[in-house]
Amino acid sequence: MEDQAQIDEFKARIDAGGKVEVGDWMPEDYRTRAIRFIEMHGNSELMGALPERDWILRAPSLRRKLALTAKIQDEVGHGQLLYRVAEDLGKPREAMLEDLIAGRTKFHNVFHYPTRTWADVAIIGWLVDAAAIVSQTALRSSSYAPYARTMTRICWEEAFHLKQGEDAVLTLMAGTERQKEMCQEALNRWWGPLMHMHGPNTPAERDGDLAWKIKTKCNYDLRQEFLATYIPKIREIGLEVPDPNMRHDQATGSWLYTEPDWEELKTVVRGAGPASQERLGFRRFNYEETRWVRDAVLGSASVAA
Amino acid sequence: MIDEKLVPLLMALADDELVLGYRDSEWTGIAPLLEEDVALSSMAQDEIGHARMFYEMVSGILDKSPDSIALGREPSGFHHCRLVERPRGDWAYSMARQFLYDAADGVRLEMLTRSTHKPLALGVAKVIREEKYHRMHGESWIGKLAHGTDESHRRLEAALLQLWPDLPGFFEPVEGEAELVKAGVLPEPFSALLPRWWQVVEPVLARHGLHGPNLGLNAFSDHSGYGGREGRHSEDFVKLWNEMTLVYGVDPEAVW
Repeated sequence: MEDQAQIDEFKARIDAGGKVEVGDWMPEDYRTRAIRFIEMHGNSELMGALPERDWILRAPSLRRKLALTAKIQDEVGHGQLLYRVAEDLGKPREAMLEDLIAGRTKFHNVFHYPTRTWADVAIIGWLVDAAAIVSQTALRSSSYAPYARTMTRICWEEAFHLKQGEDAVLTLMAGTERQKEMCQEALNRWWGPLMHMHGPNTPAERDGDLAWKIKTKCNYDLRQEFLATYIPKIREIGLEVPDPNMRHDQATGSWLYTEPDWEELKTVVRGAGPASQERLGFRRFNYEETRWVRDAVLGSASVAA
Repeated sequence: MIDEKLVPLLMALADDELVLGYRDSEWTGIAPLLEEDVALSSMAQDEIGHARMFYEMVSGILDKSPDSIALGREPSGFHHCRLVERPRGDWAYSMARQFLYDAADGVRLEMLTRSTHKPLALGVAKVIREEKYHRMHGESWIGKLAHGTDESHRRLEAALLQLWPDLPGFFEPVEGEAELVKAGVLPEPFSALLPRWWQVVEPVLARHGLHGPNLGLNAFSDHSGYGGREGRHSEDFVKLWNEMTLVYGVDPEAVW
């Protein structure tokens, strides 16, 4: 039984901007939420490697191949760092990987969609990473200090990814008519998932992660921040935003848009997205296929990957 | 010596690294351990980087861009050995190949530091430093798998046996080799490297109990695994080539 006074004191400390370290006492709700949040972030880094890895072999130049391999290497490295943060909170890596491949835990919506052309890789590298950076930058002030520190390092590396993605998009847009078309088609395909990425407009008072300041900005504000920076850029390079209602409202200072289909988001993150089962199946298959390696080096008692 | 004569040699060096780099990058995102995932991606980048260095040398001779050299050829225009074009297989196959290849590449690079063609001699010095880590990585996996479980030992042995017939192909002569040797661009013919390669490999295999009549120099039959240096490749490479040129082939003139 947790002591309410202790919880209140903890909450007051968080509200006053205090930070939590791994050895500190924390309410069970805080620990559970922090694990779930960080684990999902780690899962997303690992699952995010899959749609892009398909294109390592197909990258159209040596430079792009090097950049894409380096990017995915960073992402897997981020997954590893984030899992370590979650492990310190009490969930072993092995359990996280087993839960991931069994579909018991979640990963970001964008990684449930297929990549059709090289332009998808470019759009992901630019806009999916841009949207992620908006969230991740805010997470540098998370109340859970080890997570906040990890985010500082991750954001630094993500900034390079964003540059590479932007460069790949700019190259396509400065290219042939076919390349420009590819790029616009990719933006059209990714627009829905991009608008879903920061989540539904859950009121701040009903968002437990926000109450504990595990995350520090509400979904609506994160999306507004993303739109404010990137809508002008998207238009400037000659791409059309595939939402006729997208406009900046001078009166309120915010961006107006067609409300995304939140049911689709729910369906997708539950594992029923267009590529969800294929991706999970692929990871599950490879996890099983390489189990003997882990048995050989970690001992059969441990199956941690 | 006319620079064009160097092209088959530089292409063989570049294509070996390029194709092995592609095979290594197939583990990105799905390696058995996250630490190894990161390591294999890093090695793949080193290899592609080395390939690019050799393509740049070719680029200076043929006045074509490194990308169009790397991706703008038909499969029969590639000069890598067959060893590197085989699919990644299981982890034992990939690690055993890495170890055997890096040992071979190590003696080849050492020889090339003595080349009379200075840009080549200087270029390989940098490559040697990185390849040393690859060989240590491969060698440590030979030990881990040999002494891990019965299954890992069995898989490692099977991998070595499967790799063996392809190995002589690494030492297959390149076009115009005799002339290159005469000019000192190649200090020795490639076949002279084979015993030195075995001096590196044999003690490691012996230390881990991996020997037998089918794993040794005597187990090589003449010209086994040959063909790659002349552009004769297996179906495995044609499949890989289709993937690696998929986007580039949409419009080879375009900038990507």
